[in-house]
Amino acid sequence: MTEIALATGPAGGAVLAPRRRFIALRRLAAHRSFQIGLCLVLLLAVAAIFAPVITGIDPSAMKVRLRFKPPSEAFPFGTDSFGRDVLTRVLYGARVSLWIGLVVAVMSGVCGAVIGVLAAQFRRLDAPLMRLMDALMSFPAILLALGITAALGPRMESVIIALTVAYVPAGARIVRASALVVRELDYVQAARIAGASDLRIMFRHILPNSVSPLLVQMTFVFAYSILAEAALSFLGVGVQPPTASWGNIIAEGRDYATEAWWVMLFPGLGISLAALGLNLLGDGLRDVLDPRLKSG
Amino acid sequence: MALLGRRDFSRGALALGALALGPLGAMPAHAEPKKGGTLIYASVSGPGTLDPHVSSSAVELEVIHNVFEGLVALDNRNATRPMLASKATASADARTYTFELRRGVKFHTGEELTSADVKASLERYQRVSPNAGNLAGIERYETPDPYTFIIHLKAPNVVLLDVLKSPIFPFMILPASQKDKPARGIDVIGTGPFSLGEWVKDSHLVIKRFDGYVPDTSAPGRDGYAGRKTVYVDQVRYRFIPEATTRIAALQTGEVQLASSIPTELRERIEQRKELAVREVFPVGGTYVIVNSQYGLTANVLIRQAIAAAIDITEITDATGGVNKPNPWMSFPNTPYYLGESAPSPWYDVKSPAKAKELLKKAGYKNEKIIIETNSNYQWMRTTMLVVAEQLKRAGMNVDVKVVDWTTNAAHMQQGTGEWNLSTTLFGPDHILGPQQWRPMIYAFPSIKGNDALDAAYKEFFAAPDLEQRRAAWLKIQQQVLGNGYMIKIADSGRLSGYSKRLMGQTDYPGILQLWDVWLDPAG
Amino acid sequence: MIRLTLLKLLQAVPVILIVSVLAFLLMSLLPGDPAVLIAGDQATPEAIEQVRRNLGLDRPFLEQLGIWFLHLLQGQFGSSLMLNQTVLSAMAERLPVTLSLAGLSIAITLPIGIFAGSVAAYYRQSWVDSLVMGVALLGVSIPGFWIAILSVIVFSVILGWLPSSGYVPIDQGAIEWLRSMILPAIMLSLFQIGFLARMTRSAMLDVLSQDFIRTARSKGLSEWVTVGKHAFRNALILVITTMGILVSTAIGGSVVIEQVFALPGIGRLVVQGILARDYPLVQGVMLIYGFAFVAINLAVDLLYTVADPRVRYD
Repeated sequence: MTEIALATGPAGGAVLAPRRRFIALRRLAAHRSFQIGLCLVLLLAVAAIFAPVITGIDPSAMKVRLRFKPPSEAFPFGTDSFGRDVLTRVLYGARVSLWIGLVVAVMSGVCGAVIGVLAAQFRRLDAPLMRLMDALMSFPAILLALGITAALGPRMESVIIALTVAYVPAGARIVRASALVVRELDYVQAARIAGASDLRIMFRHILPNSVSPLLVQMTFVFAYSILAEAALSFLGVGVQPPTASWGNIIAEGRDYATEAWWVMLFPGLGISLAALGLNLLGDGLRDVLDPRLKSG
Repeated sequence: MALLGRRDFSRGALALGALALGPLGAMPAHAEPKKGGTLIYASVSGPGTLDPHVSSSAVELEVIHNVFEGLVALDNRNATRPMLASKATASADARTYTFELRRGVKFHTGEELTSADVKASLERYQRVSPNAGNLAGIERYETPDPYTFIIHLKAPNVVLLDVLKSPIFPFMILPASQKDKPARGIDVIGTGPFSLGEWVKDSHLVIKRFDGYVPDTSAPGRDGYAGRKTVYVDQVRYRFIPEATTRIAALQTGEVQLASSIPTELRERIEQRKELAVREVFPVGGTYVIVNSQYGLTANVLIRQAIAAAIDITEITDATGGVNKPNPWMSFPNTPYYLGESAPSPWYDVKSPAKAKELLKKAGYKNEKIIIETNSNYQWMRTTMLVVAEQLKRAGMNVDVKVVDWTTNAAHMQQGTGEWNLSTTLFGPDHILGPQQWRPMIYAFPSIKGNDALDAAYKEFFAAPDLEQRRAAWLKIQQQVLGNGYMIKIADSGRLSGYSKRLMGQTDYPGILQLWDVWLDPAG
Repeated sequence: MIRLTLLKLLQAVPVILIVSVLAFLLMSLLPGDPAVLIAGDQATPEAIEQVRRNLGLDRPFLEQLGIWFLHLLQGQFGSSLMLNQTVLSAMAERLPVTLSLAGLSIAITLPIGIFAGSVAAYYRQSWVDSLVMGVALLGVSIPGFWIAILSVIVFSVILGWLPSSGYVPIDQGAIEWLRSMILPAIMLSLFQIGFLARMTRSAMLDVLSQDFIRTARSKGLSEWVTVGKHAFRNALILVITTMGILVSTAIGGSVVIEQVFALPGIGRLVVQGILARDYPLVQGVMLIYGFAFVAINLAVDLLYTVADPRVRYD
């Protein structure tokens, strides 16, 4: 979790004046890794959304007599130990894994934003909130998520809650750091002197200007959450079957890694591609939104 | 008590006895046992406790049966054979049991076994063991001399010895000093052929040959859990390796000579090596779908029968792998209570969605939810229930699969709590002892209440003076249990273990892992 | 400097308190009655009652919290139910394994990650940069346990170069220890190498674009000497700032890696504890790790202020 805060760099330089946003968009569109990342992510998202249209097969439908069939025309990704179509399961698994990643990214981003802005705006809240974040960050992310999921029971909701809690502190730190810069800017000071309320300053000035580093952060959290879900599934506390997630397809297929390599291979590729795409997307966003790295 | 203990938590771990060794196979007749060496055994997970009185978990019993011994034990044919006793006799009215102890038997500490130790062990067993309920009829016991132990019962009990020889929650004899130790709190001291060496929880455990062991010379050789035991290896090292792939890799690289719980799909990996082999351990137990007769839809016998009608056994056993043989009965073939080729009820392996639909219609089924509960700890259970869920869907049922952890799942089945209609478990191997051992499980798991016919059949069983009449009563019991869809038999099931051909002399008795009488051939 | 150190230490106190409360709260997430869950399926009502009393679950919430802190002050971090031993001693037994794994993995990560990142930054926007950063990106994108399982098959089974699993203590031979640890450590370091290389590259780009480098160049100083000197200083700062994160991800990642390679470390202890519902154990390990990382982060902060004189605490 901490790695993300650092990967995005100190947030101070990331403040964009509104008129520069258009330029930023143009630069993003021209950014190579952003392009590749966006393509990958869109491709996987479309595949996930249209999974029922693409396969037309029930992901839990079993033909036990057709178990462990290698990839063929009928089963492009082969079949698993139940004779279920691995392609279908990977597509439906994408829905669950990407959904978990998205929800965790958004929820931890929103919670991080609220905590970060509150800490920056209200001096009295700063210390307690940030010490709480420090404390959460003292637990290795996977371990924290493991503990919370174990206590809440092995379910998708538990995984989402656990990962959100694990990834909030990084977001909060980033937003706070950039908010501290923003609030000292001339026009924000001017608004304050003109008698704008705390709430107005927070929502009109500070929050919009902290969005870009947070956005970069959320993209990385998206990627980490997909990886973390897979790890939790591997350890047996993730999304439980018959619901398919990329993580639990691998977990179910791992014993047959040499005999039925296709069961483990394809969801693993799915995870890798999704994480790759999101990381590329995040790199692109960071390069464009963080002017310090322009030269790179 | 067919269930595994709560500490036997490892993913993919198998049920009781799962890790025992299989048939002897073709052992060269001239092979001469050689002394020495360390046998390394890859097991799924480590024991939580080595307290025999509270242990029902395979990984624990695999150590316990090599370190401890009881008064009596199961022999090759699952009959009673004295172990620490030299003789066990029942009075004519079956109310007094007298045990004469073998003389000179030593604990690992060097102290001699006496009747005081037996008495203390029995007192402790009654205090701490979950199986103590089966000894409720004991009135008192006495120790007239150091080598005699007498149990007096309140009422005649023909099954007392069965309780004392049960391999699960085994009544092992501990030194009298352990009498007041709490459950799971004993010092690991027994009279078995191995003594406990180094034990690093969840890493490895070592048992060493006990050189002061006093074998039972009344037998020519080993006999089930009893008989004359000889230890050839210097020590056995249990290594706990949860991942099947890693366990097999350890066997392939020669790091271990024996590995438990081999998934069927992976046996090829072992068999393609000429120095390795796979052993089938069969039968380990019977697998069943448990139907909760006290919750929601499945309180209706028609719904229960509809579920039974929808089930296709081959599909389930293909998906779970392992060694499975179809058998509609609740007893293994070649045991006294096995009743032959036919079936006790028409509900075995019906595989007819049409018939299921018909029954559902008769029951007035309106697409209500049927809840299947299974657990994240045991893969074969989860696999079984996922296949069952699909079969029920094909028959037009609305099914919901809930995955909880094993502890919750087991407690729900044993206590009839929770919100579920179907689940699954494996019973064995103690149920080979007969209908009397089956009884608490039959009533508890599907929560059978108010079935007069079943109650009457059991009454008949306990009153029956001879085996033929008891077998007749057992038929009626099975007709009630399976015919009313309280439980749906899947199959008799065994497990696979992999071993290096250097490991010689494995027993053909499908009990829990026995490490005496095996040796390592240095030439291999 | 002393004032700063004191301030940092002071700041760590509330963090430690909050870490303790969070670990305490973990138990209250359990649905239903924790005593019933902990006592297990074969427990008698008396056993459940005893668990309740032992864990103080029959007392009011605040009193439980008070007792929790009292125990912590006495150095009691709870006891494992499945092991019949204290969490502290259980962790101490397994610490060498996890430390070996994490230490070796970081030892692999640091040189490779920093070198790769520096090379990429120096040859920025060339094919070298693309190649190195592409590989680094794979490192942070591929699930560790997935590649670890595949690696067991390749290196132990097919090639037969390394043992498939298990741990050999270092006092039984350094070579054997290394052989047992090298594959798990490499698998664990893949993510970290990728991460560190990416960090190093952006930090180095920062440095390379700074005025003093341009000045040095214009003054005709050898480019390599200048870059090398600054790169070294920056690498040092980078190592310090990322150390906390590297250790944290190594410990987190070791949970999964220990499971794949059957290494009897703390990660496996936690997983076993979770599967056995040994919540006091899980709670205790989380707590001790939490404390350890408060200390590590504190040390990192302090070292950082020493290494980089520009940093002053406001």
